[in-house]
Amino acid sequence: ILDDPDLKDIDPTVLKHCHAAAATCILEAGKQKADISAISTCLEDCKLDKERIEQFCTEYEKNRDALEILLGSIGRSPLHITDVSWRLEYQIKNNQLHKTYQPSYLVTLNVENSDSGSHPDVSFSCTMEQLQDLVGKLKDAAKSLERATQM
Amino acid sequence: KLNIGVDNIQHGVEGLTYLLTESSKLMISEIDFQDSIHVLGFSDELNKSLLQLYLDNRKEIRSILGELAPRLPSYHSLEWRLDVQLASRSLRQQIKPAVTMKLHLNQNENQTAQVLQTDPATLLHLIQQLEQALGEMKTNHCRRIVRNMK
Repeated sequence: ILDDPDLKDIDPTVLKHCHAAAATCILEAGKQKADISAISTCLEDCKLDKERIEQFCTEYEKNRDALEILLGSIGRSPLHITDVSWRLEYQIKNNQLHKTYQPSYLVTLNVENSDSGSHPDVSFSCTMEQLQDLVGKLKDAAKSLERATQM
Repeated sequence: KLNIGVDNIQHGVEGLTYLLTESSKLMISEIDFQDSIHVLGFSDELNKSLLQLYLDNRKEIRSILGELAPRLPSYHSLEWRLDVQLASRSLRQQIKPAVTMKLHLNQNENQTAQVLQTDPATLLHLIQQLEQALGEMKTNHCRRIVRNMK
């Protein structure tokens, strides 16, 4: 904003105040999920004229969804799983034991941290029975999600 | 009580240990075992006892040896919980469903628990991917390999 040629005639301090005020107003409106009438009323109380209020509200409406998504994504949460990769192997022998002949799965859960954006993935091995157990439990979770949405 | 020197007993025990662990590790057949110990020149009765000792303890020795192999953390269990986020410091009036899970893993006798979260769409994706993984063992390709590797 400080580099904008249209605004170079205005005192930079005033500009900063305006910017801060506008930003605060927008964020507060977004946080409270205020509708247009509430915003208009608030701006009227601040003695803004009709034309300016209308302009502000039109711009706000245009960006409302993006604003809500942005605000909703701020905040802490446990590590978030984004994807899974798996590998199936058949073990034949190791240096301690020959002729093992066991299938085993290696599962990696790709994980994202809301703050730093990266985190070592969670990897583990499991037998077929264990993987069946895991999938069974995930399916239970999905089923109860479905039931919850129908309530 | 046996009236033999300590060194001899130690060597005896070590020899016996080596014989049993190597045989169990390689999973050799009865005949191979008998042929192997025949060269030691022991009595027939002793050979028979050694063979019996091998067969009786083979399974247990193998399961102990199996624990020594290099291992990644292995799955133990999973707990899950359905959450709906209603509000946060930065946004009120939300409805954000999420599944929170606690994954229990075993690593070398330590149990670790990790808390993870995912959204409904990713959960369905996870289920689909892992079901595909389970299905792989039943394909002809895998079946053929398992059959031919015995």
